[in-house]
Amino acid sequence: MSIHKITSHISGHIVDCEVNVGDKIAEGDTVVMVESMKMEIPIESDRSGKVTELLVNVDDDVAEGQVVVVIS
Amino acid sequence: MSRNKELIELEQRKAFSLAMGGPDKVKRQHDKGKLTVRERIERFVDAGTFVEVGILAGQSEYNEDLTLKKVIPSNFIMGRAKVDGRPVVVVGDDFTVRGGSNEGAVGEKLIFAEQMAYDLCVPMVRLIDGTGGGGSVKNLEKKGYASLPQMKSWSYVARNLSRVPVVSLALGSVAGKGAARVAGSHYSVMVQETSQVFVAGPPIVAKLGQKVEKNELGGSTIHTRNGVVDDEAESEEHAFSRARKFLSYLPSSVQETAPTTDAPKHVPDQSWLVDAIPENSRKVYKIWPVLTTLFDEDSIFEIGKNWGKSIVSGVARIKGRAVAFAASNPYHYGGSWDRQTAEKFVRLVDVAELFRLPVVHLIDNPGFMVGLDAEKSAVMRAGVRALTAVSQTTVPWFSLIIRRAFGVGGGAHQNSNRFNFRYAWPSAQWGSLPFEGGLEVAYRAEIEAAKDPEAKHREIKARLESVVSPFRTAENFNVEDIIDPRETRERLVEFAELSAKLCQPREYMVGYRP
Repeated sequence: MSIHKITSHISGHIVDCEVNVGDKIAEGDTVVMVESMKMEIPIESDRSGKVTELLVNVDDDVAEGQVVVVIS
Repeated sequence: MSRNKELIELEQRKAFSLAMGGPDKVKRQHDKGKLTVRERIERFVDAGTFVEVGILAGQSEYNEDLTLKKVIPSNFIMGRAKVDGRPVVVVGDDFTVRGGSNEGAVGEKLIFAEQMAYDLCVPMVRLIDGTGGGGSVKNLEKKGYASLPQMKSWSYVARNLSRVPVVSLALGSVAGKGAARVAGSHYSVMVQETSQVFVAGPPIVAKLGQKVEKNELGGSTIHTRNGVVDDEAESEEHAFSRARKFLSYLPSSVQETAPTTDAPKHVPDQSWLVDAIPENSRKVYKIWPVLTTLFDEDSIFEIGKNWGKSIVSGVARIKGRAVAFAASNPYHYGGSWDRQTAEKFVRLVDVAELFRLPVVHLIDNPGFMVGLDAEKSAVMRAGVRALTAVSQTTVPWFSLIIRRAFGVGGGAHQNSNRFNFRYAWPSAQWGSLPFEGGLEVAYRAEIEAAKDPEAKHREIKARLESVVSPFRTAENFNVEDIIDPRETRERLVEFAELSAKLCQPREYMVGYRP
C-alpha cells in the first residue's frame, strides 16, 4: 500500500475541509478549499485513494507546497 | 561489370548503416521500452517518404587486401520526409551506436541538417536520444587534444528558430548539448519514464553529494513542470502524434502563411456561456469548457499543460483558421501570474508573432502573484518581459475580459498602442487593484474618524461597488464593448476572417526586453 501526499499549490487560509479520514476519493475531487488572492481555490486530489490523514483544519494558514491530506 | 561491384559495395555499406549498432544493442534498446532511431523515423513520418542524407557516413575498417571489413555507422541519422503531406527535415540520434554520443561525422551532419531545413524553408524535427553531438571523455585520447567548446552548430540552431518551426522530442537520457537541442525549440515533448533531460546525469551529480536516480533528476515530472520541456507524452507514439499535431497549425516557414482546414460542420451550443462565470466572484470555474465552446470542435492543442498553470494556452482553430490562445485559469493562484506563467506567455506570443498567428486572449487575471515566494522568484522581471513582449507584437489581437483585469498583470491583456479587438463579458471587473484590498488604506482617515468605523467601511464599500460596474467603464468608452457571452464565437469568427490578410509573412523584428 503506497501513500500519496496532496499538497496545496498556493499559500493561503483554509476555509473548508471537504473530506474526512476514511473517505474514498477520486482523482479531481476537492479535498480542501484555500482562500487566497481573494478567491476560494479548491485543492484537488491528483489521484484516487482513501484518506488516511487530514493535516489541516478550517482557519489554518497553509504555505505553498504544504501537505494537506495523505491518501493511500 | 566493374560498376556492379561498386553497387554491391554500396548496398553492403548501406546494410551496415541499416543494422545500426547490431542485434544486441537493438535488443537492449527495445528492452528499455524504446524504439530504434530508424523505427522512430518510420513511425513519425508519412509512410515511404523518408529520403536519407548521409547514410554512408561512419567509421570503416578494411581487410588487408583493402576490401571493406565493416562500417560502424554514424549515430546521427537525418533526411527529408513528409509529415501529413508537408515536407520536413528529420534527424535522430542512434543510441545503439556508442550511446548516441559524438563521433566521426555527427557534428558535420548536425550542421548540414539544420542548414538544409533553413535553406529549404521546412520545419526541423529532432528525435533526440543521447548527447546528440556533444563530446565524450573517450574522445579525448582519440583526438589527442581537448576541444574548446564553440557550439558551432548553435548558430544554425539559433537562426532556424527565427525561420522554420523547430520541434524536439526527448526520447531517452538526453544530456549536455542534446538537452540544449531539446530546449532550443518552438515545441518540445518528452516521454514519461523512458526519457530524461539534464545538464549532466546522476553519476556526475553524485559528486555534488546528490544521490538521485535519473527520473528524479531529469524526468518529465521535473522538466515539464519547470518549462524546460513543454509537454510530456505517455509513449513515443504519443510524442510523435503531439509533434505532428503542433506542426499542423504552423506554416512551413516564416515565408508562408499557416494552413487552414475546413470550417467545422457542427458548432457547440453557446447558450450556457451566460452562466459560465459564477456570480460569486470568489468562486473558481473551469476554463476548458469555455474554450471548447468557443473554438472549433477538437481543435485545441494545449502547450505546456503542467507549467505556468495560471494560463491554459496553445493553438486552436476558429472556422478552420489557426490562432494562438491564452486563457486565465482561476484554479491556479486564482489566475494571477507567477514567474512561470509570464514565461510561458512570452513563449506563446513569440511563436505567434514569428509565424503570424492571430492571438486570442481570455482574461481573468487579478494581477501578478503577490507574496514572499513570488517576490523571491523575481515575478516582476518575468512579468515585465511579458508586458514588453505583448507591446512588441504586430499580429492581430483579440482580448476578451471574462472576469478580472487588475494591476500591471491585468494590463498585459493587449498591446494598447494599436488597434485590438477587445470585448468584455458582463461579469468583468477591473482596476488598478481590487478595491477590497485598497479600501482600508485609501480611506483610513475617513474610517478612523467615523463614530462607527465598521458602518463607515460598509458605506464606502457600497459606494465603490456601484462605480466599478463595467457598464460605467463602457459609458466612458474605456472598454469598447460589453457583449453577451453567447455572441463571443461570432465575434471570434469575424476576428479570424479579418486577420487573414494581416497575417501575411513579414520581417520578424523583436526589440529589447528588460
